[in-house]
Amino acid sequence: MQVAPIPDNEAERLAALHALLILDTPPEQRFDKITRFASTEFDVPIVLISLIDAGRQWFKSRVGLESCETGRDVSMCSHAILQPDIMVVHDTLLDARFADNPLVTGEPGIRFYAGAPLAMPSGMRLGTLCLIDRRPRTLDALELGILGTLRDLVVMELTEPAADGSTHG
Amino acid sequence: MAEPMHILLVEPEPLLRRTVSMTARSLGMSQVHEAASTAVALRMARQRRFQGAVIAVECVGSGDQRRYDLSLVDELRAAAAPGGAMPIAILADQATPGLLAELRERRISRVILKPFRAKVLLETIAGFTGADVT
Repeated sequence: MQVAPIPDNEAERLAALHALLILDTPPEQRFDKITRFASTEFDVPIVLISLIDAGRQWFKSRVGLESCETGRDVSMCSHAILQPDIMVVHDTLLDARFADNPLVTGEPGIRFYAGAPLAMPSGMRLGTLCLIDRRPRTLDALELGILGTLRDLVVMELTEPAADGSTHG
Repeated sequence: MAEPMHILLVEPEPLLRRTVSMTARSLGMSQVHEAASTAVALRMARQRRFQGAVIAVECVGSGDQRRYDLSLVDELRAAAAPGGAMPIAILADQATPGLLAELRERRISRVILKPFRAKVLLETIAGFTGADVT
Protein backbone atom coordinates (compact mmCIF):
# COMPACT_ATOMS: atom_id res chain seq x y z
CA MET A 1 0.00 0.00 0.00
CA GLN A 2 1.24 3.46 -0.83
CA VAL A 3 0.42 6.24 1.60
CA ALA A 4 -0.43 9.43 -0.27
CA PRO A 5 2.27 12.10 -0.16
CA ILE A 6 1.47 15.26 1.77
CA PRO A 7 0.58 18.14 -0.61
CA ASP A 8 3.13 20.94 -0.90
CA ASN A 9 0.55 23.44 0.33
CA GLU A 10 -0.53 21.32 3.31
CA ALA A 11 -0.34 24.08 5.95
CA GLU A 12 -2.45 26.46 3.86
CA ARG A 13 -4.78 23.63 2.86
CA LEU A 14 -5.43 22.64 6.48
CA ALA A 15 -5.91 26.27 7.45
CA ALA A 16 -8.55 26.62 4.72
CA LEU A 17 -10.27 23.43 5.86
CA HIS A 18 -10.31 24.43 9.51
CA ALA A 19 -11.57 27.93 8.62
CA LEU A 20 -14.78 26.35 7.28
CA LEU A 21 -15.63 25.26 10.86
CA ILE A 22 -17.26 22.17 9.41
CA LEU A 23 -15.23 19.30 10.87
CA ASP A 24 -17.19 17.16 13.36
CA THR A 25 -20.42 19.05 12.75
CA PRO A 26 -23.74 17.15 12.49
CA PRO A 27 -25.14 15.87 9.19
CA GLU A 28 -26.84 18.49 7.00
CA GLN A 29 -29.59 17.88 4.48
CA ARG A 30 -27.97 20.15 1.89
CA PHE A 31 -25.02 17.74 1.68
CA ASP A 32 -26.92 14.52 2.33
CA LYS A 33 -29.29 15.14 -0.58
CA ILE A 34 -26.30 15.30 -2.93
CA THR A 35 -24.78 12.03 -1.70
CA ARG A 36 -28.18 10.28 -1.84
CA PHE A 37 -28.71 11.59 -5.36
CA ALA A 38 -25.26 10.38 -6.43
CA SER A 39 -25.83 6.93 -4.95
CA THR A 40 -29.02 6.53 -6.98
CA GLU A 41 -27.69 8.20 -10.14
CA PHE A 42 -24.57 6.04 -10.31
CA ASP A 43 -26.06 2.95 -8.64
CA VAL A 44 -23.20 2.72 -6.15
CA PRO A 45 -23.54 1.49 -2.56
CA ILE A 46 -21.22 4.07 -1.00
CA VAL A 47 -20.93 7.82 -1.58
CA LEU A 48 -18.91 10.12 0.65
CA ILE A 49 -18.13 13.78 1.09
CA SER A 50 -14.68 13.29 2.56
CA LEU A 51 -12.58 16.06 4.07
CA ILE A 52 -8.87 15.40 4.52
CA ASP A 53 -7.75 16.56 7.95
CA ALA A 54 -4.19 16.37 9.34
CA GLY A 55 -4.32 12.70 10.33
CA ARG A 56 -7.73 11.49 9.22
CA GLN A 57 -10.41 11.72 6.57
CA TRP A 58 -13.74 12.80 8.05
CA PHE A 59 -17.03 12.38 6.25
CA LYS A 60 -19.39 15.34 6.22
CA SER A 61 -21.96 13.18 4.47
CA ARG A 62 -22.02 9.47 3.86
CA VAL A 63 -24.24 6.89 2.23
CA GLY A 64 -23.57 3.21 2.84
CA LEU A 65 -20.83 3.54 5.44
CA GLU A 66 -21.20 3.46 9.22
CA SER A 67 -17.88 4.99 10.16
CA CYS A 68 -17.63 8.79 10.18
CA GLU A 69 -13.87 8.81 9.65
CA THR A 70 -10.80 6.69 8.84
CA GLY A 71 -7.08 7.21 9.18
CA ARG A 72 -5.48 9.37 6.51
CA ASP A 73 -2.86 6.69 5.86
CA VAL A 74 -5.46 4.36 4.30
CA SER A 75 -7.45 7.13 2.59
CA MET A 76 -7.87 6.90 -1.18
CA CYS A 77 -9.23 10.44 -1.14
CA SER A 78 -5.80 11.61 0.08
CA HIS A 79 -4.49 10.46 -3.29
CA ALA A 80 -7.37 12.08 -5.15
CA ILE A 81 -6.68 15.56 -3.75
CA LEU A 82 -3.19 15.49 -5.25
CA GLN A 83 -4.59 16.04 -8.74
CA PRO A 84 -7.04 18.59 -10.12
CA ASP A 85 -9.09 16.10 -12.12
CA ILE A 86 -11.35 13.28 -11.02
CA MET A 87 -9.33 10.23 -9.94
CA VAL A 88 -10.82 6.96 -11.13
CA VAL A 89 -9.57 3.55 -9.99
CA HIS A 90 -11.46 1.01 -12.05
CA ASP A 91 -10.22 -1.99 -10.04
CA THR A 92 -8.30 -1.46 -6.84
CA LEU A 93 -6.84 -4.97 -6.98
CA LEU A 94 -5.00 -4.00 -10.17
CA ASP A 95 -3.57 -0.78 -8.70
CA ALA A 96 -0.35 -1.12 -6.67
CA ARG A 97 -1.28 1.91 -4.58
CA PHE A 98 -4.40 0.24 -3.23
CA ALA A 99 -4.34 -3.53 -3.78
CA ASP A 100 -3.33 -4.30 -0.18
CA ASN A 101 -5.12 -1.33 1.41
CA PRO A 102 -7.16 -2.61 4.38
CA LEU A 103 -10.24 -0.81 3.02
CA VAL A 104 -9.80 -2.97 -0.10
CA THR A 105 -8.83 -6.29 1.48
CA GLY A 106 -11.30 -5.85 4.37
CA GLU A 107 -14.47 -3.87 4.98
CA PRO A 108 -15.96 -2.13 3.06
CA GLY A 109 -14.21 -4.07 0.29
CA ILE A 110 -13.55 -1.21 -2.13
CA ARG A 111 -13.02 -2.38 -5.73
CA PHE A 112 -14.02 0.77 -7.59
CA TYR A 113 -13.29 4.36 -6.60
CA ALA A 114 -13.97 7.70 -8.27
CA GLY A 115 -13.05 10.84 -6.32
CA ALA A 116 -13.77 14.38 -7.51
CA PRO A 117 -11.53 16.86 -5.66
CA LEU A 118 -13.34 19.59 -3.75
CA ALA A 119 -11.31 22.54 -5.03
CA MET A 120 -12.20 25.77 -3.31
CA PRO A 121 -12.05 29.14 -5.11
CA SER A 122 -8.59 29.57 -3.53
CA GLY A 123 -7.46 26.45 -5.35
CA MET A 124 -7.10 24.43 -2.13
CA ARG A 125 -8.35 20.86 -2.53
CA LEU A 126 -9.91 20.05 0.83
CA GLY A 127 -11.42 16.64 0.15
CA THR A 128 -13.53 14.79 -2.37
CA LEU A 129 -16.98 13.76 -3.39
CA CYS A 130 -16.35 10.10 -4.02
CA LEU A 131 -18.19 7.09 -5.39
CA ILE A 132 -17.28 3.61 -4.15
CA ASP A 133 -18.41 0.22 -5.39
CA ARG A 134 -17.62 -3.32 -4.32
CA ARG A 135 -17.14 -4.42 -7.91
CA PRO A 136 -14.90 -3.12 -10.70
CA ARG A 137 -16.55 -0.70 -13.08
CA THR A 138 -15.97 2.28 -15.33
CA LEU A 139 -17.41 5.76 -15.83
CA ASP A 140 -18.06 7.18 -19.29
CA ALA A 141 -17.66 10.83 -20.28
CA LEU A 142 -21.23 11.71 -19.41
CA GLU A 143 -20.96 10.11 -15.96
CA LEU A 144 -17.69 11.93 -15.31
CA GLY A 145 -19.46 15.15 -16.26
CA ILE A 146 -22.30 14.43 -13.84
CA LEU A 147 -19.87 13.61 -11.03
CA GLY A 148 -18.05 16.87 -11.74
CA THR A 149 -21.31 18.78 -11.53
CA LEU A 150 -22.26 17.18 -8.21
CA ARG A 151 -18.78 18.04 -6.93
CA ASP A 152 -19.32 21.65 -7.99
CA LEU A 153 -22.61 21.70 -6.08
CA VAL A 154 -20.84 20.42 -2.95
CA VAL A 155 -18.21 23.15 -3.30
CA MET A 156 -20.97 25.74 -3.65
CA GLU A 157 -22.52 24.49 -0.41
CA LEU A 158 -19.14 24.55 1.34
CA THR A 159 -18.53 28.14 0.31
CA GLU A 160 -21.99 29.35 1.26
CA PRO A 161 -23.57 29.08 4.71
CA ALA A 162 -26.82 27.11 5.01
CA ALA A 163 -29.58 29.43 3.81
CA ASP A 164 -32.16 28.20 6.30
CA GLY A 165 -29.80 27.61 9.18
CA SER A 166 -30.83 23.95 9.25
CA THR A 167 -28.38 21.26 10.17
CA HIS A 168 -29.92 17.85 10.52
CA GLY A 169 -31.02 16.08 7.38
CA MET B 1 -18.01 28.42 -32.65
CA ALA B 2 -21.62 27.44 -33.23
CA GLU B 3 -24.36 28.94 -31.07
CA PRO B 4 -25.43 26.31 -28.49
CA MET B 5 -28.89 24.84 -28.90
CA HIS B 6 -31.42 26.05 -26.37
CA ILE B 7 -33.29 23.26 -24.60
CA LEU B 8 -36.19 23.68 -22.20
CA LEU B 9 -36.15 21.39 -19.16
CA VAL B 10 -39.27 21.25 -17.02
CA GLU B 11 -38.69 19.23 -13.87
CA PRO B 12 -39.83 19.98 -10.30
CA GLU B 13 -36.90 18.28 -8.54
CA PRO B 14 -34.22 21.01 -8.18
CA LEU B 15 -31.16 18.79 -7.81
CA LEU B 16 -31.98 16.72 -10.90
CA ARG B 17 -32.79 19.84 -12.90
CA ARG B 18 -29.63 21.65 -11.83
CA THR B 19 -27.41 18.60 -12.42
CA VAL B 20 -28.69 18.21 -15.97
CA SER B 21 -28.35 21.88 -16.88
CA MET B 22 -24.88 22.32 -15.36
CA THR B 23 -23.56 19.12 -16.91
CA ALA B 24 -24.96 19.97 -20.34
CA ARG B 25 -23.24 23.33 -20.13
CA SER B 26 -19.92 21.96 -18.85
CA LEU B 27 -19.80 19.37 -21.63
CA GLY B 28 -20.71 21.97 -24.25
CA MET B 29 -23.82 20.05 -25.25
CA SER B 30 -26.44 22.77 -25.07
CA GLN B 31 -27.86 25.64 -23.06
CA VAL B 32 -30.52 24.10 -20.83
CA HIS B 33 -33.15 26.51 -19.52
CA GLU B 34 -34.69 25.31 -16.27
CA ALA B 35 -38.33 25.54 -15.24
CA ALA B 36 -39.71 24.05 -12.05
CA SER B 37 -43.31 23.94 -13.26
CA THR B 38 -45.50 24.02 -16.34
CA ALA B 39 -46.63 27.55 -15.46
CA VAL B 40 -43.06 28.86 -15.39
CA ALA B 41 -42.23 26.99 -18.60
CA LEU B 42 -45.23 28.46 -20.40
CA ARG B 43 -43.97 31.96 -19.58
CA MET B 44 -40.47 31.05 -20.81
CA ALA B 45 -41.84 29.53 -24.01
CA ARG B 46 -43.64 32.78 -24.81
CA GLN B 47 -40.39 34.73 -24.44
CA ARG B 48 -38.00 32.66 -26.52
CA ARG B 49 -37.85 29.82 -29.01
CA PHE B 50 -36.34 26.48 -28.01
CA GLN B 51 -34.83 23.78 -30.21
CA GLY B 52 -35.93 20.93 -27.94
CA ALA B 53 -37.73 20.24 -24.68
CA VAL B 54 -37.70 17.67 -21.88
CA ILE B 55 -40.89 18.01 -19.90
CA ALA B 56 -42.07 16.33 -16.70
CA VAL B 57 -45.81 16.32 -17.17
CA GLU B 58 -48.00 17.11 -14.18
CA CYS B 59 -51.24 15.40 -13.27
CA VAL B 60 -54.19 17.76 -12.91
CA GLY B 61 -57.79 17.21 -11.87
CA SER B 62 -59.11 14.51 -9.58
CA GLY B 63 -61.03 11.28 -9.77
CA ASP B 64 -62.25 10.43 -13.28
CA GLN B 65 -61.09 13.86 -14.46
CA ARG B 66 -57.47 13.20 -13.49
CA ARG B 67 -55.20 13.59 -16.51
CA TYR B 68 -51.74 14.73 -17.57
CA ASP B 69 -51.45 18.42 -18.38
CA LEU B 70 -50.12 18.62 -21.94
CA SER B 71 -50.83 22.33 -22.40
CA LEU B 72 -47.13 23.15 -22.60
CA VAL B 73 -46.59 20.59 -25.37
CA ASP B 74 -49.52 22.08 -27.28
CA GLU B 75 -48.15 25.59 -26.83
CA LEU B 76 -44.69 24.59 -28.03
CA ARG B 77 -46.13 22.81 -31.05
CA ALA B 78 -48.33 25.78 -31.90
CA ALA B 79 -45.41 28.20 -31.65
CA ALA B 80 -43.10 26.12 -33.84
CA ALA B 81 -42.14 27.41 -37.26
CA PRO B 82 -44.11 25.82 -40.12
CA GLY B 83 -42.62 22.40 -40.82
CA GLY B 84 -40.40 22.66 -37.77
CA ALA B 85 -40.86 19.66 -35.54
CA MET B 86 -39.11 20.45 -32.27
CA PRO B 87 -38.05 17.23 -30.51
CA ILE B 88 -39.89 16.83 -27.21
CA ALA B 89 -39.35 14.13 -24.57
CA ILE B 90 -41.81 13.53 -21.77
CA LEU B 91 -41.10 12.42 -18.20
CA ALA B 92 -44.00 10.58 -16.62
CA ASP B 93 -44.73 8.40 -13.60
CA GLN B 94 -46.27 5.74 -15.79
CA ALA B 95 -47.17 5.23 -19.43
CA THR B 96 -50.91 4.60 -19.61
CA PRO B 97 -52.45 3.72 -22.98
CA GLY B 98 -54.38 6.98 -22.85
CA LEU B 99 -51.27 9.05 -22.25
CA LEU B 100 -49.36 7.26 -24.99
CA ALA B 101 -52.17 7.91 -27.46
CA GLU B 102 -52.16 11.61 -26.57
CA LEU B 103 -48.38 11.75 -26.91
CA ARG B 104 -48.45 10.05 -30.31
CA GLU B 105 -50.88 12.69 -31.53
CA ARG B 106 -48.41 15.33 -30.42
CA ARG B 107 -45.39 13.68 -32.11
CA ILE B 108 -43.44 13.14 -28.89
CA SER B 109 -39.91 11.83 -29.50
CA ARG B 110 -39.46 9.87 -26.31
CA VAL B 111 -41.17 8.93 -23.05
CA ILE B 112 -38.97 8.52 -19.97
CA LEU B 113 -40.44 6.77 -16.95
CA LYS B 114 -39.49 7.06 -13.28
CA PRO B 115 -36.97 6.83 -11.72
CA PHE B 116 -35.49 9.70 -13.68
CA ARG B 117 -31.70 9.73 -13.94
CA ALA B 118 -29.64 12.70 -15.02
CA LYS B 119 -27.70 10.53 -17.43
CA VAL B 120 -30.84 9.45 -19.30
CA LEU B 121 -32.03 13.04 -19.56
CA LEU B 122 -28.62 14.16 -20.84
CA GLU B 123 -28.52 11.33 -23.39
CA THR B 124 -31.94 12.45 -24.57
CA ILE B 125 -30.75 16.04 -24.94
CA ALA B 126 -27.62 14.81 -26.74
CA GLY B 127 -29.92 12.98 -29.14
CA PHE B 128 -31.74 16.26 -29.82
CA THR B 129 -28.56 18.19 -30.48
CA GLY B 130 -26.43 15.52 -32.10
CA ALA B 131 -23.75 16.06 -29.42
CA ASP B 132 -21.16 13.31 -29.04
CA VAL B 133 -20.99 12.41 -25.36
CA THR B 134 -19.05 9.17 -25.61
